[in-house]
Amino acid sequence: MNDELFLNERVQMIASFGSGLNPCLPHKFRRANGREIEITEIGLRHPSVQGKRTIHIFDVTSGEADYRLEFDSERLTWHLTQEGDHVF
Amino acid sequence: MSFNVECYRQCMNLEHKNYNQAVPHVMHIDLNSCFATVEQQARPLLRGRPVAVVNRRSEHTMIVTASYEAKARGVGLGMTLKEAKKLCPDLVGVESDPSKYRYVYKQLMRIMSDYSSHVRMKSIDEGVIDFSEACLRGASEQDLVGIGYEIKSRLRNEIGCWMRCNVGIGANRFLAKTAAGLHKPDGLDVINSKNLLTTFEKLELEDLTGIARRNRHRLEAVGIKTPVDFLQADLRTLSQVVFKGVPGVQWHHRLRGWEVDKLDFPIRTAGRQYVLEAYAVPENLVLERLHHLCESVGRKVRGQGLVARGVGVHARSYKQGYWHNKRMMAAPFFSDAAIYSLAKELFKTAPYPLKEIGIHCYGLSAPNDRQLVLFGDELAKISSATRAVDEINQRYGDRTVHSAHTIKTDMVKQKVPFGSTRYF
Repeated sequence: MNDELFLNERVQMIASFGSGLNPCLPHKFRRANGREIEITEIGLRHPSVQGKRTIHIFDVTSGEADYRLEFDSERLTWHLTQEGDHVF
Repeated sequence: MSFNVECYRQCMNLEHKNYNQAVPHVMHIDLNSCFATVEQQARPLLRGRPVAVVNRRSEHTMIVTASYEAKARGVGLGMTLKEAKKLCPDLVGVESDPSKYRYVYKQLMRIMSDYSSHVRMKSIDEGVIDFSEACLRGASEQDLVGIGYEIKSRLRNEIGCWMRCNVGIGANRFLAKTAAGLHKPDGLDVINSKNLLTTFEKLELEDLTGIARRNRHRLEAVGIKTPVDFLQADLRTLSQVVFKGVPGVQWHHRLRGWEVDKLDFPIRTAGRQYVLEAYAVPENLVLERLHHLCESVGRKVRGQGLVARGVGVHARSYKQGYWHNKRMMAAPFFSDAAIYSLAKELFKTAPYPLKEIGIHCYGLSAPNDRQLVLFGDELAKISSATRAVDEINQRYGDRTVHSAHTIKTDMVKQKVPFGSTRYF
Protein backbone atom coordinates (compact mmCIF):
# COMPACT_ATOMS: atom_id res chain seq x y z
CA MET A 1 0.00 0.00 0.00
CA ASN A 2 0.91 3.64 -0.18
CA ASP A 3 3.00 5.42 2.48
CA GLU A 4 0.04 7.04 4.22
CA LEU A 5 0.03 8.15 7.83
CA PHE A 6 -3.30 8.45 9.61
CA LEU A 7 -3.35 11.21 12.22
CA ASN A 8 -5.73 13.25 14.29
CA GLU A 9 -3.59 16.31 14.90
CA ARG A 10 -5.05 19.71 15.71
CA VAL A 11 -3.36 22.33 13.51
CA GLN A 12 -3.36 26.12 13.29
CA MET A 13 -4.55 27.37 9.92
CA ILE A 14 -4.44 30.50 7.84
CA ALA A 15 -7.41 30.38 5.51
CA SER A 16 -9.39 32.92 3.53
CA PHE A 17 -13.15 33.00 3.19
CA GLY A 18 -14.57 34.58 0.08
CA SER A 19 -17.16 33.82 -2.55
CA GLY A 20 -17.51 31.63 -5.61
CA LEU A 21 -17.39 27.87 -5.95
CA ASN A 22 -14.70 27.45 -3.29
CA PRO A 23 -15.43 30.09 -0.67
CA CYS A 24 -12.98 28.67 1.88
CA LEU A 25 -9.33 28.41 0.87
CA PRO A 26 -6.73 27.09 3.34
CA HIS A 27 -3.29 28.61 2.65
CA LYS A 28 -0.86 27.58 5.35
CA PHE A 29 -0.91 25.50 8.52
CA ARG A 30 1.29 24.98 11.54
CA ARG A 31 1.64 21.50 12.94
CA ALA A 32 1.94 20.56 16.64
CA ASN A 33 5.73 20.28 16.22
CA GLY A 34 5.89 23.91 15.00
CA ARG A 35 6.54 23.01 11.36
CA GLU A 36 4.78 25.29 8.92
CA ILE A 37 3.43 23.90 5.68
CA GLU A 38 2.37 26.03 2.76
CA ILE A 39 -0.47 24.68 0.65
CA THR A 40 0.28 24.94 -3.06
CA GLU A 41 -2.86 23.28 -4.42
CA ILE A 42 -6.26 22.18 -3.15
CA GLY A 43 -7.01 18.88 -4.85
CA LEU A 44 -10.59 18.34 -3.76
CA ARG A 45 -12.91 19.70 -1.12
CA HIS A 46 -15.88 17.62 -0.11
CA PRO A 47 -18.28 17.75 2.80
CA SER A 48 -18.84 14.79 5.07
CA VAL A 49 -21.92 14.78 7.24
CA GLN A 50 -21.48 13.24 10.66
CA GLY A 51 -24.94 13.34 12.14
CA LYS A 52 -25.93 16.99 12.26
CA ARG A 53 -22.30 18.15 12.03
CA THR A 54 -20.72 18.92 8.71
CA ILE A 55 -16.99 18.34 8.35
CA HIS A 56 -15.36 19.87 5.26
CA ILE A 57 -12.55 17.67 4.05
CA PHE A 58 -9.75 19.34 2.10
CA ASP A 59 -7.29 17.16 0.22
CA VAL A 60 -4.32 19.43 -0.39
CA THR A 61 -0.68 19.30 -1.38
CA SER A 62 2.43 21.22 -0.44
CA GLY A 63 4.30 19.90 -3.47
CA GLU A 64 6.34 17.61 -1.20
CA ALA A 65 3.48 15.63 0.34
CA ASP A 66 -0.29 15.36 0.15
CA TYR A 67 -2.36 16.13 3.24
CA ARG A 68 -5.93 15.71 4.33
CA LEU A 69 -7.28 18.52 6.48
CA GLU A 70 -10.68 18.48 8.14
CA PHE A 71 -12.56 21.64 9.08
CA ASP A 72 -15.31 21.16 11.63
CA SER A 73 -17.88 23.81 10.75
CA GLU A 74 -19.54 23.56 14.17
CA ARG A 75 -16.45 23.73 16.39
CA LEU A 76 -14.41 25.83 13.91
CA THR A 77 -11.37 23.61 14.31
CA TRP A 78 -8.88 22.25 11.79
CA HIS A 79 -7.37 18.78 12.08
CA LEU A 80 -4.69 17.10 10.01
CA THR A 81 -5.94 13.55 9.52
CA GLN A 82 -3.75 12.11 6.78
CA GLU A 83 -0.32 12.60 5.27
CA GLY A 84 1.07 10.70 2.31
CA ASP A 85 2.48 10.53 -1.24
CA HIS A 86 5.82 11.96 -0.16
CA VAL A 87 8.26 13.03 -2.85
CA PHE A 88 11.57 11.44 -1.93
CA MET B 1 -41.00 2.68 -26.21
CA SER B 2 -42.11 -0.36 -24.26
CA PHE B 3 -42.46 -3.79 -25.73
CA ASN B 4 -45.49 -6.03 -25.46
CA VAL B 5 -46.79 -8.98 -27.40
CA GLU B 6 -48.71 -6.78 -29.83
CA CYS B 7 -45.63 -4.71 -30.58
CA TYR B 8 -43.65 -7.89 -31.09
CA ARG B 9 -46.21 -9.17 -33.62
CA GLN B 10 -46.17 -5.89 -35.50
CA CYS B 11 -42.40 -5.97 -35.65
CA MET B 12 -42.46 -9.51 -36.97
CA ASN B 13 -44.74 -8.42 -39.78
CA LEU B 14 -42.99 -5.18 -40.57
CA GLU B 15 -39.24 -5.15 -40.40
CA HIS B 16 -37.69 -1.82 -39.49
CA LYS B 17 -34.76 -1.91 -41.85
CA ASN B 18 -34.16 1.80 -41.69
CA TYR B 19 -31.88 3.44 -39.22
CA ASN B 20 -33.23 6.15 -36.98
CA GLN B 21 -32.59 9.30 -39.04
CA ALA B 22 -33.47 11.70 -36.24
CA VAL B 23 -30.88 14.13 -34.88
CA PRO B 24 -29.09 12.33 -32.02
CA HIS B 25 -30.59 13.65 -28.79
CA VAL B 26 -29.26 11.34 -26.12
CA MET B 27 -26.02 12.22 -24.35
CA HIS B 28 -24.12 9.66 -22.27
CA ILE B 29 -21.51 10.95 -19.84
CA ASP B 30 -19.01 8.56 -18.31
CA LEU B 31 -16.24 9.52 -15.89
CA ASN B 32 -12.93 7.92 -16.82
CA SER B 33 -11.61 5.35 -14.33
CA CYS B 34 -13.78 7.26 -11.88
CA PHE B 35 -12.43 6.32 -8.46
CA ALA B 36 -8.77 6.42 -9.50
CA THR B 37 -9.25 9.77 -11.25
CA VAL B 38 -10.97 11.22 -8.17
CA GLU B 39 -8.06 10.02 -6.00
CA GLN B 40 -5.60 11.62 -8.42
CA GLN B 41 -7.65 14.82 -8.34
CA ALA B 42 -7.68 14.85 -4.53
CA ARG B 43 -4.00 13.96 -4.17
CA PRO B 44 -2.02 15.89 -6.77
CA LEU B 45 1.21 13.96 -6.18
CA LEU B 46 -0.49 10.80 -7.47
CA ARG B 47 -1.20 12.39 -10.87
CA GLY B 48 0.57 10.72 -13.72
CA ARG B 49 1.46 7.75 -11.52
CA PRO B 50 -0.13 4.28 -11.75
CA VAL B 51 -2.81 4.12 -9.06
CA ALA B 52 -5.06 1.25 -8.03
CA VAL B 53 -8.07 1.75 -5.77
CA VAL B 54 -8.72 -1.17 -3.42
CA ASN B 55 -11.26 -1.80 -0.71
CA ARG B 56 -8.83 -2.91 2.00
CA ARG B 57 -5.29 -2.11 3.00
CA SER B 58 -4.01 -5.53 2.10
CA GLU B 59 -1.93 -7.01 -0.73
CA HIS B 60 -4.50 -9.76 -1.31
CA THR B 61 -7.39 -7.44 -1.98
CA MET B 62 -8.87 -7.06 -5.46
CA ILE B 63 -8.40 -3.91 -7.49
CA VAL B 64 -11.65 -1.98 -7.86
CA THR B 65 -10.38 0.67 -10.28
CA ALA B 66 -7.04 1.33 -11.91
CA SER B 67 -5.90 4.65 -13.32
CA TYR B 68 -5.15 4.94 -17.04
CA GLU B 69 -1.42 4.92 -16.25
CA ALA B 70 -1.86 1.58 -14.45
CA LYS B 71 -4.12 0.16 -17.17
CA ALA B 72 -1.50 1.04 -19.78
CA ARG B 73 0.93 -1.22 -17.91
CA GLY B 74 -1.42 -4.20 -17.87
CA VAL B 75 -3.10 -3.68 -14.51
CA GLY B 76 -6.74 -4.76 -14.72
CA LEU B 77 -9.78 -4.82 -12.51
CA GLY B 78 -10.19 -7.92 -10.35
CA MET B 79 -6.44 -8.50 -10.07
CA THR B 80 -5.04 -8.67 -6.57
CA LEU B 81 -2.72 -5.85 -5.59
CA LYS B 82 0.10 -8.36 -5.23
CA GLU B 83 -0.36 -9.63 -8.81
CA ALA B 84 -0.60 -6.10 -10.13
CA LYS B 85 2.62 -5.06 -8.40
CA LYS B 86 4.48 -7.79 -10.28
CA LEU B 87 3.42 -6.12 -13.54
CA CYS B 88 3.86 -2.60 -12.26
CA PRO B 89 6.22 -2.36 -9.25
CA ASP B 90 5.63 1.36 -8.66
CA LEU B 91 1.85 0.91 -8.49
CA VAL B 92 0.31 2.94 -5.66
CA GLY B 93 -2.51 1.18 -3.82
CA VAL B 94 -5.07 3.59 -2.38
CA GLU B 95 -7.94 2.60 -0.11
CA SER B 96 -11.34 3.59 -1.47
CA ASP B 97 -13.10 6.60 0.03
CA PRO B 98 -16.81 6.42 -0.87
CA SER B 99 -17.73 9.85 0.52
CA LYS B 100 -15.37 11.47 -2.02
CA TYR B 101 -16.92 9.54 -4.90
CA ARG B 102 -20.44 10.38 -3.74
CA TYR B 103 -19.50 14.07 -3.73
CA VAL B 104 -18.18 13.89 -7.29
CA TYR B 105 -21.30 11.96 -8.33
CA LYS B 106 -23.52 14.71 -6.89
CA GLN B 107 -21.47 17.42 -8.60
CA LEU B 108 -21.71 15.59 -11.93
CA MET B 109 -25.47 15.22 -11.48
CA ARG B 110 -25.78 18.93 -10.60
CA ILE B 111 -23.88 19.93 -13.75
CA MET B 112 -25.92 17.60 -15.95
CA SER B 113 -29.19 18.81 -14.41
CA ASP B 114 -28.37 22.36 -15.52
CA TYR B 115 -28.97 21.28 -19.12
CA SER B 116 -32.13 19.21 -18.79
CA SER B 117 -34.53 17.88 -16.20
CA HIS B 118 -34.39 14.52 -17.98
CA VAL B 119 -31.20 13.25 -16.35
CA ARG B 120 -30.88 9.63 -15.33
CA MET B 121 -27.79 8.46 -13.46
CA LYS B 122 -26.99 4.88 -14.49
CA SER B 123 -24.42 4.32 -11.76
CA ILE B 124 -22.01 6.29 -9.60
CA ASP B 125 -19.86 7.27 -12.58
CA GLU B 126 -22.20 7.56 -15.54
CA GLY B 127 -25.42 9.25 -16.50
CA VAL B 128 -27.65 10.03 -19.44
CA ILE B 129 -29.27 13.29 -20.53
CA ASP B 130 -32.24 12.82 -22.80
CA PHE B 131 -32.67 16.03 -24.79
CA SER B 132 -35.48 14.60 -26.89
CA GLU B 133 -37.95 15.51 -24.15
CA ALA B 134 -36.45 18.84 -23.23
CA CYS B 135 -36.80 22.32 -24.66
CA LEU B 136 -33.68 21.53 -26.68
CA ARG B 137 -35.67 19.08 -28.77
CA GLY B 138 -35.02 21.13 -31.88
CA ALA B 139 -31.31 21.47 -31.18
CA SER B 140 -28.86 20.42 -33.85
CA GLU B 141 -26.06 17.89 -33.49
CA GLN B 142 -23.60 20.78 -33.25
CA ASP B 143 -25.54 22.28 -30.33
CA LEU B 144 -25.26 19.02 -28.43
CA VAL B 145 -21.56 18.72 -29.21
CA GLY B 146 -21.17 22.24 -27.78
CA ILE B 147 -23.00 21.19 -24.62
CA GLY B 148 -20.78 18.10 -24.37
CA TYR B 149 -17.62 20.24 -24.46
CA GLU B 150 -19.14 22.66 -21.97
CA ILE B 151 -19.88 19.83 -19.52
CA LYS B 152 -16.27 18.62 -19.86
CA SER B 153 -15.01 22.10 -19.18
CA ARG B 154 -17.34 22.62 -16.19
CA LEU B 155 -16.24 19.30 -14.72
CA ARG B 156 -12.64 20.54 -14.77
CA ASN B 157 -13.49 24.01 -13.45
CA GLU B 158 -16.00 23.03 -10.79
CA ILE B 159 -14.57 19.77 -9.46
CA GLY B 160 -10.92 19.78 -10.41
CA CYS B 161 -8.45 20.13 -13.26
CA TRP B 162 -7.69 16.39 -13.39
CA MET B 163 -11.31 15.35 -13.93
CA ARG B 164 -12.03 13.98 -17.37
CA CYS B 165 -15.09 12.38 -18.88
CA ASN B 166 -16.18 10.69 -22.07
CA VAL B 167 -19.19 12.07 -23.80
CA GLY B 168 -21.19 10.07 -26.29
CA ILE B 169 -24.10 11.37 -28.34
CA GLY B 170 -26.48 9.06 -30.14
CA ALA B 171 -30.05 8.58 -31.22
CA ASN B 172 -30.72 6.19 -28.35
CA ARG B 173 -29.12 5.25 -25.02
CA PHE B 174 -27.25 2.30 -26.51
CA LEU B 175 -25.58 4.27 -29.30
CA ALA B 176 -24.79 7.15 -26.92
CA LYS B 177 -23.03 4.73 -24.55
CA THR B 178 -21.21 3.09 -27.45
CA ALA B 179 -20.06 6.54 -28.62
CA ALA B 180 -18.83 7.38 -25.12
CA GLY B 181 -16.52 4.37 -25.22
CA LEU B 182 -14.88 5.13 -28.57
CA HIS B 183 -12.06 7.45 -27.50
CA LYS B 184 -11.08 6.97 -23.88
CA PRO B 185 -10.04 9.01 -22.00
CA ASP B 186 -11.66 12.37 -22.50
CA GLY B 187 -13.35 11.69 -25.83
CA LEU B 188 -16.46 13.15 -27.39
CA ASP B 189 -18.09 11.23 -30.21
CA VAL B 190 -21.36 11.25 -32.04
CA ILE B 191 -22.94 8.22 -33.68
CA ASN B 192 -25.64 9.11 -36.18
CA SER B 193 -27.29 7.31 -39.06
CA LYS B 194 -24.51 8.45 -41.42
CA ASN B 195 -21.52 7.13 -39.48
CA LEU B 196 -23.20 4.15 -37.79
CA LEU B 197 -21.81 1.60 -40.22
CA THR B 198 -18.28 3.01 -40.28
CA THR B 199 -18.25 3.20 -36.47
CA PHE B 200 -19.37 -0.41 -36.14
CA GLU B 201 -16.65 -1.50 -38.58
CA LYS B 202 -14.03 -0.51 -35.99
CA LEU B 203 -15.61 -2.46 -33.13
CA GLU B 204 -15.65 -6.05 -31.91
CA LEU B 205 -18.85 -7.78 -30.82
CA GLU B 206 -17.89 -7.61 -27.15
CA ASP B 207 -17.34 -3.85 -27.41
CA LEU B 208 -21.12 -3.52 -27.59
CA THR B 209 -22.84 -3.04 -24.24
CA GLY B 210 -24.88 -6.13 -23.45
CA ILE B 211 -22.77 -8.48 -25.56
CA ALA B 212 -20.43 -10.53 -23.43
CA ARG B 213 -18.99 -14.01 -23.95
CA ARG B 214 -22.26 -15.98 -23.94
CA ASN B 215 -24.14 -13.64 -26.26
CA ARG B 216 -21.10 -13.53 -28.54
CA HIS B 217 -21.18 -17.33 -28.78
CA ARG B 218 -24.90 -17.22 -29.60
CA LEU B 219 -24.28 -14.71 -32.37
CA GLU B 220 -21.23 -16.49 -33.76
CA ALA B 221 -23.21 -19.73 -33.91
CA VAL B 222 -25.35 -18.19 -36.68
CA GLY B 223 -22.42 -16.58 -38.49
CA ILE B 224 -22.66 -13.11 -36.92
CA LYS B 225 -19.02 -12.39 -36.20
CA THR B 226 -18.81 -8.57 -36.19
CA PRO B 227 -21.03 -5.66 -35.14
CA VAL B 228 -21.63 -4.94 -38.84
CA ASP B 229 -22.96 -8.50 -39.32
CA PHE B 230 -25.10 -7.95 -36.22
CA LEU B 231 -26.46 -4.69 -37.63
CA GLN B 232 -27.26 -6.29 -40.95
CA ALA B 233 -28.84 -9.41 -39.47
CA ASP B 234 -32.53 -9.65 -40.25
CA LEU B 235 -35.22 -9.42 -37.62
CA ARG B 236 -36.29 -13.05 -37.93
CA THR B 237 -32.77 -14.36 -37.34
CA LEU B 238 -32.35 -12.26 -34.21
CA SER B 239 -35.79 -12.83 -32.73
CA GLN B 240 -36.37 -16.46 -33.67
CA VAL B 241 -32.90 -17.99 -33.83
CA VAL B 242 -30.43 -16.01 -31.74
CA PHE B 243 -32.40 -14.47 -28.86
CA LYS B 244 -35.64 -16.43 -29.27
CA GLY B 245 -38.17 -13.73 -28.53
CA VAL B 246 -38.59 -10.06 -27.72
CA PRO B 247 -34.89 -9.48 -26.87
CA GLY B 248 -34.08 -10.18 -30.53
CA VAL B 249 -36.57 -7.52 -31.68
CA GLN B 250 -35.12 -5.10 -29.15
CA TRP B 251 -31.57 -5.71 -30.39
CA HIS B 252 -32.73 -5.16 -33.97
CA HIS B 253 -34.17 -1.78 -32.98
CA ARG B 254 -31.42 -0.83 -30.55
CA LEU B 255 -28.67 -1.24 -33.15
CA ARG B 256 -30.55 1.02 -35.58
CA GLY B 257 -30.91 3.83 -33.08
CA TRP B 258 -34.49 3.26 -31.93
CA GLU B 259 -35.00 3.71 -28.20
CA VAL B 260 -35.81 0.50 -26.34
CA ASP B 261 -33.89 1.06 -23.11
CA LYS B 262 -35.80 4.00 -21.71
CA LEU B 263 -37.14 2.02 -18.82
CA ASP B 264 -37.22 2.66 -15.10
CA PHE B 265 -37.36 -0.37 -12.91
CA PRO B 266 -38.71 -0.23 -9.37
CA ILE B 267 -36.35 -1.31 -6.60
CA ARG B 268 -36.87 -5.04 -6.20
CA THR B 269 -34.06 -5.97 -3.83
CA ALA B 270 -31.68 -4.31 -1.40
CA GLY B 271 -28.61 -6.11 -0.18
CA ARG B 272 -25.03 -6.03 1.02
CA GLN B 273 -22.15 -8.44 1.17
CA TYR B 274 -18.92 -8.66 3.08
CA VAL B 275 -15.68 -10.55 2.52
CA LEU B 276 -14.60 -11.90 5.91
CA GLU B 277 -11.36 -10.41 7.13
CA ALA B 278 -9.65 -13.67 8.17
CA TYR B 279 -9.62 -17.38 7.41
CA ALA B 280 -12.13 -19.51 9.35
CA VAL B 281 -13.84 -16.76 11.30
CA PRO B 282 -15.84 -18.53 14.09
CA GLU B 283 -19.59 -18.90 13.65
CA ASN B 284 -20.52 -16.44 16.42
CA LEU B 285 -18.36 -13.70 14.85
CA VAL B 286 -19.79 -14.43 11.39
CA LEU B 287 -23.27 -13.93 12.85
CA GLU B 288 -22.21 -10.58 14.34
CA ARG B 289 -21.07 -9.44 10.90
CA LEU B 290 -24.27 -10.81 9.36
CA HIS B 291 -26.25 -8.80 11.92
CA HIS B 292 -24.31 -5.67 10.91
CA LEU B 293 -25.19 -6.30 7.26
CA CYS B 294 -28.86 -6.81 8.24
CA GLU B 295 -28.89 -3.43 9.99
CA SER B 296 -27.38 -1.81 6.94
CA VAL B 297 -29.89 -3.46 4.56
CA GLY B 298 -32.77 -2.59 6.91
CA ARG B 299 -31.77 1.08 6.73
CA LYS B 300 -31.65 0.92 2.93
CA VAL B 301 -35.14 -0.62 2.74
CA ARG B 302 -36.69 1.81 5.23
CA GLY B 303 -34.84 4.74 3.65
CA GLN B 304 -36.84 4.11 0.48
CA GLY B 305 -40.09 3.94 2.48
CA LEU B 306 -40.50 0.25 1.66
CA VAL B 307 -41.10 -3.01 3.49
CA ALA B 308 -39.76 -6.46 2.56
CA ARG B 309 -41.42 -9.82 2.24
CA GLY B 310 -38.40 -12.08 1.89
CA VAL B 311 -34.79 -12.49 2.95
CA GLY B 312 -32.07 -14.22 0.94
CA VAL B 313 -28.62 -15.04 2.26
CA HIS B 314 -25.58 -16.24 0.39
CA ALA B 315 -22.07 -17.23 1.31
CA ARG B 316 -18.88 -18.41 -0.33
CA SER B 317 -17.37 -21.34 1.49
CA TYR B 318 -13.71 -22.43 1.41
CA LYS B 319 -14.76 -26.05 0.89
CA GLN B 320 -18.11 -26.04 -0.89
CA GLY B 321 -18.05 -22.87 -2.97
CA TYR B 322 -21.19 -20.81 -3.44
CA TRP B 323 -24.15 -21.42 -1.10
CA HIS B 324 -27.46 -19.60 -0.83
CA ASN B 325 -30.78 -19.84 0.96
CA LYS B 326 -33.90 -17.69 0.98
CA ARG B 327 -37.38 -17.48 2.42
CA MET B 328 -40.53 -15.50 1.61
CA MET B 329 -42.79 -14.61 4.51
CA ALA B 330 -46.56 -14.19 4.54
CA ALA B 331 -46.45 -10.78 6.22
CA PRO B 332 -44.14 -7.89 5.33
CA PHE B 333 -41.45 -6.78 7.78
CA PHE B 334 -39.05 -3.84 8.07
CA SER B 335 -37.16 -3.90 11.37
CA ASP B 336 -33.49 -4.88 11.68
CA ALA B 337 -34.43 -7.46 14.31
CA ALA B 338 -36.92 -9.17 11.97
CA ILE B 339 -34.42 -9.24 9.10
CA TYR B 340 -31.63 -10.60 11.29
CA SER B 341 -33.86 -13.21 12.94
CA LEU B 342 -34.78 -14.60 9.52
CA ALA B 343 -31.22 -14.37 8.17
CA LYS B 344 -29.84 -16.14 11.24
CA GLU B 345 -32.36 -18.94 10.80
CA LEU B 346 -31.38 -19.31 7.12
CA PHE B 347 -27.68 -19.27 8.01
CA LYS B 348 -27.96 -22.38 10.19
CA THR B 349 -27.18 -24.57 7.20
CA ALA B 350 -24.26 -22.44 5.94
CA PRO B 351 -21.16 -24.51 5.00
CA TYR B 352 -18.50 -23.13 7.38
CA PRO B 353 -15.67 -22.03 7.12
CA LEU B 354 -16.77 -19.05 5.02
CA LYS B 355 -14.88 -16.43 3.10
CA GLU B 356 -17.77 -14.17 2.08
CA ILE B 357 -21.28 -13.54 3.38
CA GLY B 358 -24.17 -11.57 1.97
CA ILE B 359 -27.81 -10.81 2.58
CA HIS B 360 -30.57 -9.23 0.55
CA CYS B 361 -34.21 -8.37 1.16
CA TYR B 362 -36.63 -8.99 -1.69
CA GLY B 363 -40.33 -8.63 -2.39
CA LEU B 364 -40.02 -4.94 -1.61
CA SER B 365 -43.22 -2.93 -1.67
CA ALA B 366 -44.80 0.15 -0.17
CA PRO B 367 -46.29 -0.55 3.26
CA ASN B 368 -50.00 -1.22 3.20
CA ASP B 369 -51.20 0.23 6.50
CA ARG B 370 -54.84 -0.24 5.61
CA GLN B 371 -54.57 -4.00 6.03
CA LEU B 372 -55.75 -4.84 9.55
CA VAL B 373 -53.58 -7.31 11.38
CA LEU B 374 -54.27 -9.36 14.46
CA PHE B 375 -51.17 -8.13 16.31
CA GLY B 376 -51.44 -4.52 15.20
CA ASP B 377 -50.47 -3.02 18.56
CA GLU B 378 -47.24 -4.99 18.69
CA LEU B 379 -46.36 -3.99 15.11
CA ALA B 380 -47.10 -0.34 15.85
CA LYS B 381 -44.67 -0.45 18.79
CA ILE B 382 -41.93 -2.02 16.63
CA SER B 383 -42.61 0.54 13.90
CA SER B 384 -42.35 3.48 16.33
CA ALA B 385 -39.16 2.15 17.93
CA THR B 386 -37.54 1.52 14.53
CA ARG B 387 -38.51 4.97 13.28
CA ALA B 388 -37.12 6.59 16.43
CA VAL B 389 -33.77 4.78 16.04
CA ASP B 390 -33.58 5.78 12.36
CA GLU B 391 -34.26 9.42 13.27
CA ILE B 392 -31.54 9.41 15.94
CA ASN B 393 -29.07 7.88 13.49
CA GLN B 394 -29.97 10.43 10.84
CA ARG B 395 -29.51 13.31 13.26
CA TYR B 396 -26.42 12.23 15.14
CA GLY B 397 -24.66 10.04 12.59
CA ASP B 398 -24.85 6.57 11.22
CA ARG B 399 -24.80 3.79 13.83
CA THR B 400 -25.21 6.09 16.82
CA VAL B 401 -27.81 3.59 18.05
CA HIS B 402 -27.51 -0.03 17.00
CA SER B 403 -27.75 -3.50 18.42
CA ALA B 404 -25.26 -4.38 21.18
CA HIS B 405 -24.54 -7.53 19.17
CA THR B 406 -22.80 -5.44 16.48
CA ILE B 407 -20.69 -3.31 18.80
CA LYS B 408 -17.44 -4.88 17.56
CA THR B 409 -18.19 -4.92 13.85
CA ASP B 410 -16.85 -1.57 12.70
CA MET B 411 -14.73 -3.32 10.09
CA VAL B 412 -17.92 -4.02 8.09
CA LYS B 413 -18.04 -0.41 6.90
CA GLN B 414 -19.61 0.57 3.61
CA LYS B 415 -17.18 0.38 0.73
CA VAL B 416 -17.35 1.46 -2.88
CA PRO B 417 -21.02 1.87 -3.71
CA PHE B 418 -21.46 0.01 -6.98
CA GLY B 419 -24.83 -0.53 -8.56
CA SER B 420 -27.90 1.53 -7.87
CA THR B 421 -27.39 5.10 -6.79
CA ARG B 422 -30.90 5.36 -5.42
CA TYR B 423 -29.71 4.94 -1.83
CA PHE B 424 -27.56 8.10 -1.93
